[in-house]
Amino acid sequence: MDRFDNELQDLLRDYPMPDARAGFYDEALLRAAQEGARRTRNRWLVTGFGSAIAAGIAIWFLSGVLMTAPTLTAPDADIPGVTIALEQTNTVNLVFASASRLDSATLTVVLPEGIELAGFPGQREISWETSLNEGKNLLPLKLIALTPAGGELYARLVHNNRDREFRLRVDVS
Amino acid sequence: MSIPDENAVFERLLRPHLDRLYRLAWRLTGSKAEAEDLFQELLIKAFGKLDQLLRIEEPGSWLCRVMYNLFIDERRRFTRRRMTVVDESHLPEDGFAGVAGNSDPAHDNERLQQLERLGRALAQLSEEHRIVVLLHDTEGYKITEIQELTGVPEGTIKSRLHRARARLKEILIADGTFS
Repeated sequence: MDRFDNELQDLLRDYPMPDARAGFYDEALLRAAQEGARRTRNRWLVTGFGSAIAAGIAIWFLSGVLMTAPTLTAPDADIPGVTIALEQTNTVNLVFASASRLDSATLTVVLPEGIELAGFPGQREISWETSLNEGKNLLPLKLIALTPAGGELYARLVHNNRDREFRLRVDVS
Repeated sequence: MSIPDENAVFERLLRPHLDRLYRLAWRLTGSKAEAEDLFQELLIKAFGKLDQLLRIEEPGSWLCRVMYNLFIDERRRFTRRRMTVVDESHLPEDGFAGVAGNSDPAHDNERLQQLERLGRALAQLSEEHRIVVLLHDTEGYKITEIQELTGVPEGTIKSRLHRARARLKEILIADGTFS
């Protein structure tokens, strides 16, 4: 073992990692125990666009001020829609626009009956923690329609105590 | 078991292992968001297997194995569902805060730079090499523990460790960290 080996060992021993953020363990335990429970949804709108192969939906997510939203509509107005092909993988692009960088945001996608997210067979609700950069953040979702029924897809983004939710009508051709 | 009882049992059983599990999640994923995601998914899975967990003698080791397997399965999902513009490489205050030891600011600064370069060097390793070297040399896992965790033969682990160290040394010599 030479000097560099020893230096490397010292560096690796010191290689740090952050502690879990305060309250994370409690939140994670609680969330695990509440598995399957649906969260109450506050409907905030958003905007969207789509096509059979790729659709985009913009969520205007901010930490204070409503950003300019080109096609904002009221929550009860007609929701945007996309048509996807039966039993094929269709990419729906979600676009999250954030006024600032957001760490530890939680994104939840709830799928209608008969539509799955590729890689998540049998799961109707998928949540994960993520971070958003300032500006537009793209999340492609690969949807597979197992039945021609279609339905509404919900996506909800939560950061601290703020949240945004949108709906997307998914039709199957 | 009533729901409140079940929740209390789950928490009592899991809480002693949470720090170890979070550290493992971080070392496996290398990012805060994915570490939290993996950790959360493990807990959800563990809650669904509470009856089984209660009968296990060493739940900590079992949970680590389940987390590792979950990571192997989930990493492809993480890759698919990662937001394309998210960049978690700039977390100096998280990733490099709290380096203990010498209180000389100049020395601390130099040490931080070395650790940042080490982070970049680690990022150049293959996943299997990175995980082995971090678990063994950083977290202090024994070869047998890594074998138990990953199911990879001991000889393979030793070989990966050797190659990972050699590659790291090569990178750090090339970038001037070691001179």
